[in-house]
Amino acid sequence: MRTSLGVLLALAVAAAALAAGASAGHRVAKVTTVTLTGWASSPAETASLQDTIAAFEKAYPAIKVNYSPINGDYATSMIAKFAARTPPDVFYVDSSVFPDWAKQGALLPLDSYVKKTHFNTTAFYPKLLNAFRYQGHLYGFPKDWSSLGIEVNSAMMAKAGITSAPKTWADLNADATKLNNTNAVPGGKPVCLSADWARLGAFVFQNGGSFLNATKTAATWNTPQVAGAVNYYLSYIQRGLAATPAQLGVGWCGEALGKQKAAIIMEGPWVQPYMSSTFPDVGYKVYPMVSKGPTKGFGNWAFTVSYSIGRDSPHKNQAWTLLSYLTGPKGMKVWTSKGVAMSSRSDVKPLPSQQPFALAAPYSHPWQFAPGFHTVTDQAGNELQAVFDGKESVATMLQNIQSLATTALHGG
Amino acid sequence: MRTIATRLRPGKRGAATVGGARLREALVGYAFVLLPMAVFGVFFLYPIGYAIYISFFDWGIYGKIASVGTHNYHYLFHDHVFGLALKNTLFFTFTVVPIQMALGLAMAIVVNQKIRGRAFFRSAFYFPSLTSSAAITAIAIFILNADGLLNKIVGGHTPWFENESTALWSIVGLISWTTSGTMMLFYLAALQSIPTDVYEAAAIDNTGTWRTFWKITFPLLKPAHFFVAVVSVIGAMKVFDQAFIVSHGTGGPNNSTMTMVLYLYRTAIYDVHFGRAAAMGVLLLVIIMAFTLIQRIAFGRPEVQ
Amino acid sequence: MLETSAVAAEALIPPRATSERVRTLLTYTALLAISALFFVPFLWAVSTSFKTLPQTAYFHLLPHPWTMAPYREALSKFNFALYMRNSAFLAAVITASNVFLAGLGGYAFARLRFPGREVLFLLVLSTLMMPDQLRMVPVFVMLTNWHLVNSFASYILISLVTAGNLFFMRQYFLTIPKDFEEAAKLDGAGYFKTFWRVMLPLAGPAIAAVTILQFQGVWNDFFWPNLLLQDTAHYVLTTGLAQFVFQYQTQWNDLMAASLIAIAPIVLLFIFFQRYFISGVVSAGVKG
Repeated sequence: MRTSLGVLLALAVAAAALAAGASAGHRVAKVTTVTLTGWASSPAETASLQDTIAAFEKAYPAIKVNYSPINGDYATSMIAKFAARTPPDVFYVDSSVFPDWAKQGALLPLDSYVKKTHFNTTAFYPKLLNAFRYQGHLYGFPKDWSSLGIEVNSAMMAKAGITSAPKTWADLNADATKLNNTNAVPGGKPVCLSADWARLGAFVFQNGGSFLNATKTAATWNTPQVAGAVNYYLSYIQRGLAATPAQLGVGWCGEALGKQKAAIIMEGPWVQPYMSSTFPDVGYKVYPMVSKGPTKGFGNWAFTVSYSIGRDSPHKNQAWTLLSYLTGPKGMKVWTSKGVAMSSRSDVKPLPSQQPFALAAPYSHPWQFAPGFHTVTDQAGNELQAVFDGKESVATMLQNIQSLATTALHGG
Repeated sequence: MRTIATRLRPGKRGAATVGGARLREALVGYAFVLLPMAVFGVFFLYPIGYAIYISFFDWGIYGKIASVGTHNYHYLFHDHVFGLALKNTLFFTFTVVPIQMALGLAMAIVVNQKIRGRAFFRSAFYFPSLTSSAAITAIAIFILNADGLLNKIVGGHTPWFENESTALWSIVGLISWTTSGTMMLFYLAALQSIPTDVYEAAAIDNTGTWRTFWKITFPLLKPAHFFVAVVSVIGAMKVFDQAFIVSHGTGGPNNSTMTMVLYLYRTAIYDVHFGRAAAMGVLLLVIIMAFTLIQRIAFGRPEVQ
Repeated sequence: MLETSAVAAEALIPPRATSERVRTLLTYTALLAISALFFVPFLWAVSTSFKTLPQTAYFHLLPHPWTMAPYREALSKFNFALYMRNSAFLAAVITASNVFLAGLGGYAFARLRFPGREVLFLLVLSTLMMPDQLRMVPVFVMLTNWHLVNSFASYILISLVTAGNLFFMRQYFLTIPKDFEEAAKLDGAGYFKTFWRVMLPLAGPAIAAVTILQFQGVWNDFFWPNLLLQDTAHYVLTTGLAQFVFQYQTQWNDLMAASLIAIAPIVLLFIFFQRYFISGVVSAGVKG
């Protein structure tokens, strides 16, 4: 008995020792899980993102990524998380909310990380990168971007005898007139124009105007360049060559293109997956945005989103590794390879289908203003709609917006 | 019976028992409301106090930025958009509430009758209330489109939700339609509590259905009226979901669908001006409280019956 | 019972003419028309759920071509069973807690006298006046500090009882004659027993109303689950459904199919509970 007990005891001790030795010797690198958050734009995008994450995890086995998109109101959830000091590690920041989030201190300045890891920032398109600079510091890197292009209904353009893309304001005018005269768009109008600064603004830039001055200390809304652009844009509607989506009975110009209520629209690359899934039978072509003249007057909007890290994010170093991979050349390549997004780096080339939009990189201004500007842009949108409805003059609108903008810039 | 009456009447006889009974009743009362009040206190009253406090500051995501006294209120009083939001919200409330109450009561009366298929009608009337406001609003957008079903029936090409003059009215219609079913439920429950002898007596007296309703049923529903009125007004003053969805969060066209809570939300989440948003919340609270007190007085004290 | 009394009452009134019949016919027609109006969006949702995505842009009541794909998509792509289970669990727990606590509190405010009752009730009412958007941040911060975020406990805790339900129960209790409580007192019942054994059963229709409304309120709630229950294991039907609504593309057909699957339990619940409205509560006869 005693011997068997002794044997048992010895075995137990040996087993314990083995176990201890095993866990001590089996020194696996600690795996950190970082959370990645954003909103889901489409199933295709989610798939591409997951491919990119998989590539990252392969390259960095010590870091696992927990991707959990926020499906509802992104801004509300993020603000709540910031306030509770529990932000995700890496998350999307739209350029339009960036000024407020950066000013409030919710984002982590990334300059020291860039320096520490020698991250190459020169490959990013300068205007896009600048969108995520605040008071001289970098708070994010653009993960991709979009601009506006011109989309036309192939059949209708052919019917009107238009064989080439409209390149200038003059071309646009001529094409719209031709479409109108040949009644190529029955039940609609030649051009669909949104009563939206996020479209009209491109014309403002083309006309040499701007909304804020370079240092964002003064508003330049009430200037002849802006007025000129607005009046030009509006003239198409006044001359019966264009209509707004509401006037055409649709939700946005993309729907107008799909329902064949307009032959020419100005939208971004998002119109492509929309058309192929909802209106697969309507033939259309994508061209670059027009310019004011053949060699001058180029301007466009850049809609871009950054990856950023929170001031209170739990795993900052690993978050940086993920962020720098996602926006670095390798990650960017995987992310944009299937065409769901356009590369924000010049060393990762856009796909052929994205060319018309990518061309605008040098002169696309980020859709962004200054901290505390949301009420201004809201009101600007409302005033624009009033002008489109014929209820207000362009001059009054610009005066109103200018004074609102000035108040907001001075701390409101 | 006499024993009970004596026991509860204050007076010389059994004074000690009365006091003890009263104390016990009070303690039980507190015990019963303890848990509800705790929940309300922590998750509602504390945030109200917090909102009142921060409304005197320039308050950001991480807390106090600066003490500004009454500047936030000052700003709102001179804010053209806030004025519009207030006007829209009040207009909305004073149209939706009467409609909801009348429709709810009418449907409850109908469905309470011994008519064939009342279960079917009950379900039909309540159906819009069953769905989530998001889904129903999305469907409404589709139907009220310029090329949508409604225009196919009534003719014309009005983009109901996108026209400055019709947008708010369209929301009034939408919400009346979805919420009157809920009011119907409240009235239905109240109708069920009216003792049947009342109707029997009316029938014996040969009172017509209309008179029975106005002189007997309607007044007996006073506690229900009070409840439905208060709840409707509060709900209407807080309208958000539909305005948000219909205007894509902008309160447009041209602020015609900007409601107080929508403006509050935009100030808090997009402008990240928590202090100003809190000031708005406080003003909203004060207004709703005033309305409720007025209703309390108008409907009398329901306990006295 | 209301029905038998109505019948009895009718017998005392002389029979009516054919104009009465016409009136009844018109009434029924009007009722049916109104019901149709109330059902129309449901019909559109059903029809859309059988369409292909390109078809959804057009308004046709009968889908052609006809496809079951949206339902297959909805059921296979997302873990519907899980979302439904989570929604059902939360709705059941929160509804039960509301019925009990609102009943208890409502009864106290209606029938028990205690100092400060009016002030407390006003405070209760004032909680109704606060929009969720305003209290979101402090509540979220609180729940985060208590490490409850992303657990069902957070959502249950803030929803244990609502002022609306309490208010409603109070109003209902006010209409019940005091005879019942007095009878119970005679029988020597304590306060809680009176509440639990006598008053609560008498509040059948009110409980039915609160049950339906609260269950549905939780079932259709998006705001708080979106904020508090963010990981996929805790998704409820509303947050799960939101996955169908992408930024630039709303897959209407799949969304409608999913919504209908989500609505079905609520409809069944309503049909089941509304029977309680038929059985009247107060029968003539219990008099002090």
